[in-house]
Amino acid sequence: MGHQPNINDMLLEVKNISLSFGGVKVLSDISFDIKRNEIRAIIGPNGAGKSSMLNIINGFYHPQQGEIWFNGHKRVSEKPFKIARQGIARTFQNIALFKGMSTLDNLMTGRITKMNTNIFWQALWKGPAEREEIQHRERVEQIIDFLKIQSIRKTPVGRLPYGMQKRVELGRALAAEAKLLLLDEPMAGMNLEEKQDMCRFILDVNDEFDTTIALIEHDMGVVMDLSDRVVVLDYGRKLADGTPDEVRNNQTVIDAYLGVVHD
Amino acid sequence: MSLELLNTLEVILNGLMTGVMYSLVALGFVLIFKASGVFNYAQGVMCLFAALTLVGFQTGQIPFAHLINVIFGTEYHHWSSDITGGMNSFLAIVLTVIVMIGFAYIVERFLLRHLVNQAPIILFMATIGLAFFMEGFGDLMWGANIKPLDLGIPSGGSFWWEEVTRTWATADSKYIGMYIDVLDVWAAVIAVLLVIVLTLFSQFTKTGRALRAVADDHQAALTVGISLRTIWVIVWSIAGIVALVAGIMWGSKSGVQFSLSLIALKALPVLILGGFTSIPGAIVGGLIIGVGEKLFEFWIGPMVGGATENWFAYVLALFFLMFRPQGLYGEKIIERV
Repeated sequence: MGHQPNINDMLLEVKNISLSFGGVKVLSDISFDIKRNEIRAIIGPNGAGKSSMLNIINGFYHPQQGEIWFNGHKRVSEKPFKIARQGIARTFQNIALFKGMSTLDNLMTGRITKMNTNIFWQALWKGPAEREEIQHRERVEQIIDFLKIQSIRKTPVGRLPYGMQKRVELGRALAAEAKLLLLDEPMAGMNLEEKQDMCRFILDVNDEFDTTIALIEHDMGVVMDLSDRVVVLDYGRKLADGTPDEVRNNQTVIDAYLGVVHD
Repeated sequence: MSLELLNTLEVILNGLMTGVMYSLVALGFVLIFKASGVFNYAQGVMCLFAALTLVGFQTGQIPFAHLINVIFGTEYHHWSSDITGGMNSFLAIVLTVIVMIGFAYIVERFLLRHLVNQAPIILFMATIGLAFFMEGFGDLMWGANIKPLDLGIPSGGSFWWEEVTRTWATADSKYIGMYIDVLDVWAAVIAVLLVIVLTLFSQFTKTGRALRAVADDHQAALTVGISLRTIWVIVWSIAGIVALVAGIMWGSKSGVQFSLSLIALKALPVLILGGFTSIPGAIVGGLIIGVGEKLFEFWIGPMVGGATENWFAYVLALFFLMFRPQGLYGEKIIERV
């Protein structure tokens, strides 16, 4: 289990969000919050609107209704790259790495929000640009050590096995040193050993880097073990919200998601 | 060395030089295609426009002089009374670079921004429109007459090389030495420098990495905080500068005129050979086409009545499409079922 979150200290608040594509209602009137330093899971069956929720937080989708408060400020509708600069990093369900680039370059790209020498210094290479590169390279090397991916530093990520790619993608998100880390099914398609590794990393990230994490996951065992609080979505509605135990014992959730018990 | 061999060598050498010029144009295409998946039909016209602008600045022309004269009944042409006394060449190049960067910004602002997430064919059509617009706009701005471009780059046959190669032949032959245009050598050197600089920039700088990231995956690039708009402006600016270099070289060779924009058509087979997504591919493809068409003309040309250079590149590209559609260095797309 992660840090004991500081009560009443919200990093992100989602208020009355509704999203529809044309006539299809994807999310209706969803509200929940994420406290600083907690691991928050979003669960629900396929098509429940979990990924859409993440896409809203990250700025890919703009909801028709509702407000998002991040870090104490109400957020106006923004482009994803600006939201990334505010401190939200994410991974994707079907890995979105820069496949032609090496692990190192992928991680360095993750630090782009932290680098600010202008293009003319970069073109010259010497001076501020070089210093900045070295400084950020050190940080990236720490992440490489942390994730134990030293051996694939120079390998183009397109050639790596699936589990490793997932790990590099996590690394790229970590490199951004975001306040909020969104993980969309970080363990999908992994074997048991890889899942255990990934769980370890998620807990350590939460612990050592004080990062707040919101994750979507289908493996209930993992969700119940990892998360501090769970929000359950189904067909775009919120079914339940609470600690893993509360959610596990919630009758609506059992009926809708975990399956009705037949006597 | 026998005469036959020397002649062949000369043909190959000149083919390589021409090839470099093709590569320069192809390079502009590859840059934009990689970063935005757009086949930029306007690349050739960008060469023309850049060269026109450069000549205009250098000779001290007043932009839109014809338009101004028609509207106000004036007789302006050049801002200095002395026609030859325009601007320092270096200053003119710097100003043209600034114009090309401004152009990149305008293209992003008024074209690309509104076509985000559209199918590639839509973007392609838009660049065709852009090509026609720029053609007319360039004429309106600087006039449609053929202009000589002289930046002081040496040109003409190299006597030194003629002397050197003359000694390669047997003493009693009447071999007069190999011909090579100094301008072509300069073009080759500049092209090589340009490729080295571009490669270093894209490999070792933050913006270079961002460029490669966008080329690889738009969505992922957005989530790490890269602004697509900024990247597109940068890419189109670089393509504009490459177009300027190509425009300078071709313009110095054959004058700045409309036909300059047609070299874009020669870049097509180069891209098919080298692959649309590869910078080394553009170079190698250009060299193969350059040497190939010259050798073909030299060996087979006489048998079929000559003028094979007009079609050889396209036929070669056609064969490539049959056997290696992704090009020499292109990414092979494997669809998983």
